[in-house]
Amino acid sequence: MKREPFFWITVSCGIVIMAFILLPLIQMMSAPSAGMLKETIQDKDVVRSIWLSIYTAGLAALISFVLGTPLAYLLARSAFKGKRLVESIIDLPIAIPHPVVGIAILSVAGKNHWIGQILSELGIRIMGSVTGIVTVLTFVGIPFYLNAAKAGFEGISPRLEKVSRSLGASMSSTFFRITFPLAWRSMLIGIIMCCARAISEFGAVVIVAYHPMIAPVMIYERFEAYGLKYSQPVAVWLVSISLLLFLILRILTLENRKET
Amino acid sequence: MDNRKSILAIIFIFAFFMTGLLIYPQSGWTKEKQPSGKVIIFNAGSLTIPFAKMEKVFEARYPNVDIIQESAGSRKCARKITGLKKPCDIMASADYTVIDQLLIPTYADWNIRFATNRLVLCYTNTSNYAKEINAQNWYEILLKKDVVWGHADHNIDPCGYRSVMVLQLAEKYYKKPGLFKKLIANRPQENIRPKSVELISLLQTGNMDYAWEYRSVAVQHELKFVELPDRINLGNYKHDTFYKKAVVKVTGKKPGTFLNKKGKSCTYGITLLKNAPKTQAATAFLQYMLDAQGGLKILKDMGQPPFIPCRVPTAEMKARLPKALRDLVEVRE
Repeated sequence: MKREPFFWITVSCGIVIMAFILLPLIQMMSAPSAGMLKETIQDKDVVRSIWLSIYTAGLAALISFVLGTPLAYLLARSAFKGKRLVESIIDLPIAIPHPVVGIAILSVAGKNHWIGQILSELGIRIMGSVTGIVTVLTFVGIPFYLNAAKAGFEGISPRLEKVSRSLGASMSSTFFRITFPLAWRSMLIGIIMCCARAISEFGAVVIVAYHPMIAPVMIYERFEAYGLKYSQPVAVWLVSISLLLFLILRILTLENRKET
Repeated sequence: MDNRKSILAIIFIFAFFMTGLLIYPQSGWTKEKQPSGKVIIFNAGSLTIPFAKMEKVFEARYPNVDIIQESAGSRKCARKITGLKKPCDIMASADYTVIDQLLIPTYADWNIRFATNRLVLCYTNTSNYAKEINAQNWYEILLKKDVVWGHADHNIDPCGYRSVMVLQLAEKYYKKPGLFKKLIANRPQENIRPKSVELISLLQTGNMDYAWEYRSVAVQHELKFVELPDRINLGNYKHDTFYKKAVVKVTGKKPGTFLNKKGKSCTYGITLLKNAPKTQAATAFLQYMLDAQGGLKILKDMGQPPFIPCRVPTAEMKARLPKALRDLVEVRE
């Protein structure tokens, strides 16, 4: 079969994009020596910061999952006035410059704001705390979860739910026994997307919390204090972990496609 | 015949204009003495804002001159000249000794001290104990459990280690043994930020009560601040021997290595490079900048106390200055 020119255009565009994404990453990943990498991962501070990154990003994803699922379901199933507005508000954190997110969160967390006053009465501190980091990461990550979960719910026919309801199941049992088993894959993808977004966040976090250091902040600190040579190995470890996350995501969506 | 005449006329007019264009730049038609060209200034990061303002005023006065600022750390600026051999007319350093050590005598002949800076303790109206704090009791307030205060990362920002030096000097100055340790104990690591300027947003949002900054930064951001005695604020080079007693350990070239930074005053120095590409225009800028009514006034308004008049250490150095600058400086240790 003779290929049309259009086919070759798609292929060459694809190659350009692959090279664009991969070349800088490969360059960075291959820069540090194996010895450097080993030395870096034996550094307690590095391990602590990478662990903190994973842990806080995971927490942000968990919070997004618990709080976001009902909202995603609501948006997928019902039409109401102002739905568009709610949807655009959900996308806002994607569009705002990262340092602005940090400043915005700090400005409600300070004692110049009533929320900050309540938090301080409760003994909760946002600035320079793990709580603060998780708050920021949830803020930047939650849109990714909501959108993925919403798309998942929208893919399930409401008829299935109606049948379940007509057979006498309550709304909650319909959700847990019909909708959830069908949509869990999209929800998982949402969780992974949210996690990946959270792990990569730097600009907002460094404003809210420099110490304790998450991995991206440590990469910045090492770069400023010691230069590229000592920041790259940390970056390599972090990117490897992110790659792992995306690999899982790809595998999951692949299985999804086979089934349908 | 007519045709030929007109062609000749056109050629003549064309040639006339062409020669005019060619002669124009060198001819006496332009004001010959008017300085012109691109003046390249390497300046310390903390001078960026006042220098940008001076640039505007100066360029309005001399439309043919284009001032180009490149700001970086003072040492980095010097290295660009000595190491990378980048063309540069004027170099302004946040630490005047950088010019003495790295540029004189090979790259420059003289070094004018033109301004100072010093560490101050910034706060806002909503800071805890904002009504009580003053130059006498500041350290007692920083020891209180319900006060959140911080400084820049001493490994990344010179303002960070200078802030720590002030605390060390305070222990000696107020004769309170153990004060430094107690102060640091009341400043959890979380209160450190990479750059001092980032502390300002923490103050303004009420997440922090007090932060250490350069005086110029405090003025430029309209913060309230406590001024400290000269002996500890790192602002007066006459106290350099006392400042030297403050020693802060900062990270070295690789993780796990360290080096010691010794206390030194924040005194700004400026020089004109020997091989400046645009000596005339650069001298004109310096003439404006070192004038009490010109650049120095801008510095003063922006919180960087200038020396009026500016200072050179010896009469011999003063003799080496361009004539136009000699009247603007005095000889003073």
